[in-house]
Amino acid sequence: MNDVIVSVKDFRKRYGETVAVDGITFDVRRGEIFALLGPNGSGKTSTLESLEGLRKPDGGSLSVSGIDPSRQPRKLAGVIGVQLQASALPPAMTVNEAMKFFCSYHGVAVRNDLIERLGLSEKRSEQYGRLSVGQQRRLALVMAAAHKPAVLFLDEPTAGLDVQSRTELHALVGELKRAGTTVLLATHDMAEAEKLADRAAILLKGRIAALGSPRQLTAAGRRKTRISVATENARLKEPGPSFPEARFEGAADGYAMFISDNPGRTVSAILAWLEQNNDPLIDLRVERPSLEERFLELTSADTSKGAAK
Amino acid sequence: MSAFIHHLSYDFKSGIRDKGKLLMSYLFPLVFFALAGSLMTAVNPFFKETALPGMIIFALMSSALLSFPNGIVTAREQGVFRSYCINGVPVVSVLVIPVIGGAVHMAIVSTIISFGGAGLFGGAAPSNIPGFIAAGILSYAAFAGMGILIGTAAAKDTAATLLAQVIYIPSIMLGGLMMPLSMLPEGFRRMSLLLPSTHAMKAFTGLGGMPAGSPIPWLSIGVLAASTVLDFGLAAWIFQWDPRATTPSKKAFAALLGILPFAAAVMIGFGT
Repeated sequence: MNDVIVSVKDFRKRYGETVAVDGITFDVRRGEIFALLGPNGSGKTSTLESLEGLRKPDGGSLSVSGIDPSRQPRKLAGVIGVQLQASALPPAMTVNEAMKFFCSYHGVAVRNDLIERLGLSEKRSEQYGRLSVGQQRRLALVMAAAHKPAVLFLDEPTAGLDVQSRTELHALVGELKRAGTTVLLATHDMAEAEKLADRAAILLKGRIAALGSPRQLTAAGRRKTRISVATENARLKEPGPSFPEARFEGAADGYAMFISDNPGRTVSAILAWLEQNNDPLIDLRVERPSLEERFLELTSADTSKGAAK
Repeated sequence: MSAFIHHLSYDFKSGIRDKGKLLMSYLFPLVFFALAGSLMTAVNPFFKETALPGMIIFALMSSALLSFPNGIVTAREQGVFRSYCINGVPVVSVLVIPVIGGAVHMAIVSTIISFGGAGLFGGAAPSNIPGFIAAGILSYAAFAGMGILIGTAAAKDTAATLLAQVIYIPSIMLGGLMMPLSMLPEGFRRMSLLLPSTHAMKAFTGLGGMPAGSPIPWLSIGVLAASTVLDFGLAAWIFQWDPRATTPSKKAFAALLGILPFAAAVMIGFGT
């Protein structure tokens, strides 16, 4: 689990005068799902596309399964599967033709199971140009996974998908991971990253602002854990009792809300207080800060820094 | 090999499904064939001598110069080539398979023109059929090479269309398609050696053993062969998978080298 399959060292990429990626370093371990997060223009797609061999780095080194993507693109194509953010097939190519075409270049049999799995069975004879955006993205994923690549790159995989397709895609990515596939995922969708990723890097202006598991990333933020409590007699309201390492935040919809630095101690204290004061508990919710909140915290801090300059 | 066959099979079918390709490969040259055959043979008796090669060259040029360049630019712009790149499709397949697929369509159109032109309009038939076919293959390869080179060098659709027209229109006017090359004034005749259609016409009439041809037009055969090799080589070197890969490639200017065989023909001035 700990051996590195994707290595990015001091990677730099410029477009004319614009610095897209400014010396980032990270590794992806075999079999893990690694998410690249960041706002538009943060360097996610440049990083992915350089790892996929579509762009040449301006500095640093990249390696995918021991292959230098810019020097050995043909060899690389055998070990990676890619669902690009901006790619297409010839509009007149049918789903069946696309599968035969790309599977034959990879030297594998057509994966009818994947076509069925992603709900494209009835579209086999449909031309690519007549598929909906969601169907086109599902077909791209089928083609990316068809040859069972060691590393799967997904760039905004659920953009344009309906809820059902999105759930199906998440399930498929989970299955691929269990089968040993390493997944590199670039997304705007924090909930998706939080759900799927083992580790994530948050990119801001071409640099890594934070790196770790979703839990580590959220724990590193300034936001505290929110505890919401509903009781039969609603006695937890201001001015009310104080609890260790917590402050009262307000009340809404029958819930009293506290912000805590130490949710374990606070919850114990709240439960003890309710017992003592004969106010039976109806509901208690402990919400740790989400990855999205951590992401917004980082991006807003970056914006403030920019404004201060 | 299986990948090559699947790719070729798809490309051939797309030539029939795609209305733009269908227009340039079949409708446009066959309508020209019908109009030129009925009008030109009536007003210009010399036209019958070169009617068959003239109309075949028109079809080959329309398919290669008006279809390939924009096809390549559009595929690159739409991200089709990016999909090919990440799935290991080699550059040579991207450049050569459309040419082979197009050759099948051109063989069909050329057969219709050859039989129809001789039967309906009294066009002079070649006495050396294998030589005539060889001239057709050589000419198509040269036109296709130019079309592919323009497509890889042009950054935008409009540039591709403009560059193709720079070759296409003078080729029709001065390349011996409308009137025999021998009827052109000396200066124009020499300048016409810059045009691929001139050499194609010489190859057709010479290798086909037609009345208007010289015995063996070695210069034109050499120019067409050199142009084919040079254009495909340059196209493979200039080719980019991704429209956003870099700032406009300086390599694209190397496409101008494709004119070298024709410039050499003007300098030599052989056969004018």
